[in-house]
Amino acid sequence: MVLKNMNDLKHLVDGEARKKLVLAAAEDQHSLGAVIKAWKENIIEPILVGDAEGIHNICAANNYDITGLRIINVTDPEKAVETAVRMVSSKQADVLMKGKIGTATVLKSILNKEWGLRTGKLLSHFALFEADTYHKVIAVTDVAMNIAPTLHDKIAIVNNSVACLNRLGYKMPKVAVLGAVEMVNENMQATLDAALLSKMNQRDQIKNCIIDGPLAFDNAVSLESAQLKGIKSEVAGDTDILLMPDIEVGNVLYKSLVFFAKAKVASIILGAMVPIVLTSRSDSEEAKFDSILLAAAASR
Amino acid sequence: MNMIRTLEQMEKKVLMLKKKHRVAVASAQDSNTIGAINKAVKKGLIEAILIGNTAEIKKTCKSEGIDDSIFTLIESPDEIRASAEAVKLAKTGGADIVMKGLVGTDKFLKAVMDKEKGLMLPDAVISYVCALEIPLYHKLLFITDTAVIPFPNLEQKIAMARYAIEMAQKFGIEKPKIALIGASEKMSRHFENSIDYSIMCKMADRNQIKDCIMDGPLDIFLACDKKSLAIKGVETPVNGDADILLFPSLESSNPFYKGLMLFANCELAGLIRGTEKPVIVMSRSESELSKYFCIALSCLMA
Repeated sequence: MVLKNMNDLKHLVDGEARKKLVLAAAEDQHSLGAVIKAWKENIIEPILVGDAEGIHNICAANNYDITGLRIINVTDPEKAVETAVRMVSSKQADVLMKGKIGTATVLKSILNKEWGLRTGKLLSHFALFEADTYHKVIAVTDVAMNIAPTLHDKIAIVNNSVACLNRLGYKMPKVAVLGAVEMVNENMQATLDAALLSKMNQRDQIKNCIIDGPLAFDNAVSLESAQLKGIKSEVAGDTDILLMPDIEVGNVLYKSLVFFAKAKVASIILGAMVPIVLTSRSDSEEAKFDSILLAAAASR
Repeated sequence: MNMIRTLEQMEKKVLMLKKKHRVAVASAQDSNTIGAINKAVKKGLIEAILIGNTAEIKKTCKSEGIDDSIFTLIESPDEIRASAEAVKLAKTGGADIVMKGLVGTDKFLKAVMDKEKGLMLPDAVISYVCALEIPLYHKLLFITDTAVIPFPNLEQKIAMARYAIEMAQKFGIEKPKIALIGASEKMSRHFENSIDYSIMCKMADRNQIKDCIMDGPLDIFLACDKKSLAIKGVETPVNGDADILLFPSLESSNPFYKGLMLFANCELAGLIRGTEKPVIVMSRSESELSKYFCIALSCLMA
């Protein structure tokens, strides 16, 4: 099965026990808005950790009715993150979300050796896009976390995103390893890594997916363009996961999809004990809502 | 064209072509070499130009009961000059094939690989491919590189693959199955060759290496034995039916073929690749029959 759009994520969580999402440093208008909307739509059960007064002020100013919502008052944002992370590591919550606090502080807490959310896996960013011009949702990774992943990192990034799509119901997601060209070129490391990843997949050293690469962007998403080039590939034109060679390519692709293709995006961090919603202030409320939805679906 | 499955079938095919090639032999005063050359001349495969110590050559012919008048003899005082002379003949059109006689391989190859006077194709990798006839295998097995490149890098491995494919095609195998040999079929950072092999497989996928079915790393069982595939549960397009084995080093390929020659009653024909004209280099200890098959092979590839 595949997801055609963000709304399909909703079908995945429909009728299931609501996941507990803990919002760390919750005194943040955009995050609160998205969390409350997701709560009202029965997608999650939120726990707000942060400055209670600030939270109430924002809710009052925006007419958010939070009757019955659990709020844990921790005024220091850093302490709030620690409290939220501890709740997750002690299984009192299923999803972690960042509120009004810097990403670095959250990551530091996640990686805490005693009470953090480490699993030994690499943390990676996973963005899911819905664009009118593609026949299903497409994941792009890593566009925000790993700067210049080595082959070893790329294996971990693929494994993280494949496991996530497996949880979303994909049996064998199709992974395209992106390059500037579809040919192997000794001077382009991305194409060499792509060849190695393909072979490891053939040998079942990377499981539960079909990997092909290098594929240029057009070959990855358009069967016609792959056929024009005479590429025989199970992945070409039907990609579920686009693996980026590095953060520059990933970030530019992410932003061009949002700005030029008007794509919807949902993003989470993978590799920790639970999915983490780590959206940035510049993300729209819709993107934050969809990210919560994705995290809830991926934590099933 | 029917697939050639034995070295004798290869010899027949060459005889049918009815084209006599001229072979220049460097330091020919060696009974094994002369024996093989004599057989090839008698069968009408070649004309021979024997370069070296002519008195010694005549003496060898006499003791072997061979008529030396069927050869062209050229006197040359030592093995270095004999090698240069043989190469020069090929370079200037006086010969179609060069063969090493009683001269060290390094000295002979130095003449072949001389930048100005040698026979190297521009920018070509010099390598070696041989066709092995193994009584227990259902067809010829082409192996590379058993003689020239100690530790081939990626570029050299690609060239080796292309040479072997080209040779297999001359034997009527349109799309040979090529197995890139390792100790295991798994990818591992500890085996650098497995990295090169993955890159090559993708290049074959993308038609950057043409006309073959390639897979690797594969061990020899997976490459040549269908039963092993089933036991190990490995799926590979080579399917236990390899035509070509590409080895990661001379230290692995050389003992492989020598072991087979000695213990499994094999026969072979091999040739240097990457040269303008076929160059026959055989170990001095190789049999007369092997040398004869090498000459026939060089005629097929000329």
